[in-house]
Amino acid sequence: MSGIERSVSSAFTIAEMEARKIRHDSTELWMRTVQPALWLLIFGEVFNSIRNLAPGGFSYMQYIAPGVLAQSVLFVAIFYGINIVWERDVGLLTKLLSTPSPRTAVVVGKALAAGVRGIFMGIMLFALALVIGVNLRFDPLDVAGVFLVVVLFAMCFSCLSMTLASFLKTRDRMMGIGQVITMPLFFASSAIYPISIMPDWLQVISKYNPLTYVVDAIRSMLLTGDYSGVPIDILVLLGTTAFFVLCASTMLKRLVE
Amino acid sequence: MTATELANPAPDPGESRTSTAVEVSDLTKVYPHGPKAVDSVTFEVKEGEIFGLLGPNGAGKTTTIKMITTLTQPTSGSIRVFGVDAARWPQKVRQMLGFVPQAISVDGDLTGYENLLIFAKLFFVDREERNSRIRTALELFGLEDRADDLVKHYSGGMMRRLEIAQALVNRPKLLFLDEPSIGLDPYSRKQVIEHIRQLNREFGTTILLTTHDMAEADELCDRLAIMNLGKIAVSGAPRDLKRSVGGDVLTVAVSGQVPETLPGELGSVASAEKGTVKILTVDGEKAIPRITDFFEQNGVTVESISLSRPTLEDVFMKYTKASLQQEGSFRDARSARRSIARHGR
Repeated sequence: MSGIERSVSSAFTIAEMEARKIRHDSTELWMRTVQPALWLLIFGEVFNSIRNLAPGGFSYMQYIAPGVLAQSVLFVAIFYGINIVWERDVGLLTKLLSTPSPRTAVVVGKALAAGVRGIFMGIMLFALALVIGVNLRFDPLDVAGVFLVVVLFAMCFSCLSMTLASFLKTRDRMMGIGQVITMPLFFASSAIYPISIMPDWLQVISKYNPLTYVVDAIRSMLLTGDYSGVPIDILVLLGTTAFFVLCASTMLKRLVE
Repeated sequence: MTATELANPAPDPGESRTSTAVEVSDLTKVYPHGPKAVDSVTFEVKEGEIFGLLGPNGAGKTTTIKMITTLTQPTSGSIRVFGVDAARWPQKVRQMLGFVPQAISVDGDLTGYENLLIFAKLFFVDREERNSRIRTALELFGLEDRADDLVKHYSGGMMRRLEIAQALVNRPKLLFLDEPSIGLDPYSRKQVIEHIRQLNREFGTTILLTTHDMAEADELCDRLAIMNLGKIAVSGAPRDLKRSVGGDVLTVAVSGQVPETLPGELGSVASAEKGTVKILTVDGEKAIPRITDFFEQNGVTVESISLSRPTLEDVFMKYTKASLQQEGSFRDARSARRSIARHGR
């Protein structure tokens, strides 16, 4: 096997590890679907009855469904570092890093593992949308595209989370920083309201928020069918992911030193 | 350097042919804002031997192992594993290694079989061989009945066995064990030791282990090094080390007139009073029949003989003296117990 083949094989093996764990026990992920369900059912319903913020003649529920999906994946990803800290505490990380896999492959593998969790959240949200009758475009290609974006997005923020874990090193601090990061990201994106109604300063910030691009891509595919922004969205996401993969790969060793 | 390599009394004629598994020279690790964790350490582990790294907590054992397993980079010095430079080819080196850290490192959320499978894949074990090796390992370590149970429901001893079984699947040339038996009950401990031996004997796996259990080190290790304050205080075969801190003492209870002197080859009389003679000798077990004979010939009846010999613990105390902290080893045991508890959530 060549070096690249080995890296790819290692990364997928680590992701497989995660998939097997989810198969044994998915309680955590089921509980994580409660929050997006509340956003859709309660927040969406209530705001829909006040005033429809959604442009383009969509219902507010339709409008926020992609945002809620992105948010639930964001939560899974941003707290992924807690798993890493836990694995470090029990010695699993040491063992993983003492395998012949390159560090980058371990990081990408872990990021893909977060992606596996993201896919679970995606499936849950689609199921939820079907059940409560939120009308989305369930075109197979679009759905596949959404899953691709979800995986990339989970990889991106789980790598940020792993980078943070390398410095913070405890689960409590990771809980704290996760809270600090998620809400501003969420509110400074187009997840639950259009950017055009934000104050000017927030509009500027939202331009630098990866979540904006993720929501835009998902919304294009699930709702509007207007793909003109998607290439830029994916490009931004790819770039950010590559950057955080690099950060996590160089920093992760701090956890076992 | 204070290292004292004791001369091997009977050099093995085949020694020149055996190659070196680990060659550590002048290895130093300085952590930022800290003292030297490892201070120009030099030692080698020969292929096929069980080598023990002993020393009080904070002596630098774990740091040394982390450097050899390429988990952390040395500040200076060099490490070669089967001739491969660890600094230049870390992945190549890791491919040859198995590592069982002090904290139980199996994944409690996977089954025993899956644990072995995932790490076999991460070590690129051939697909064709993978399954048969896993089955053999599970069988050999008495885990086949529980193979499809989640590891968090295993006992501490079973988790440890599973970790060592990993080595049977991946077949590393060199296996590191950091405190393999800490926190285990005597029965599990015995099993673990037996499995370590088995790996060494049947697969020729070179083993490097750290332990606080002197009896275990004595029983298991072909050679060992005692580290203290980041340096190697002494190294050699357990037998020679024990000899270096003093000979055997025979306490002989006799009736009759006690001879004041003994023929030199039997040993020397340390004290003689009220029917009890203490004799210092080199090899106590061999000296017993000869001393009995000598006394009988001189009209002295031997009633009983007891032999006390220096233990590895004496060696350990001599070379690490004041720096051995009781609470430290307590902390280790507690953390190992905790880690077992955590996995068994």
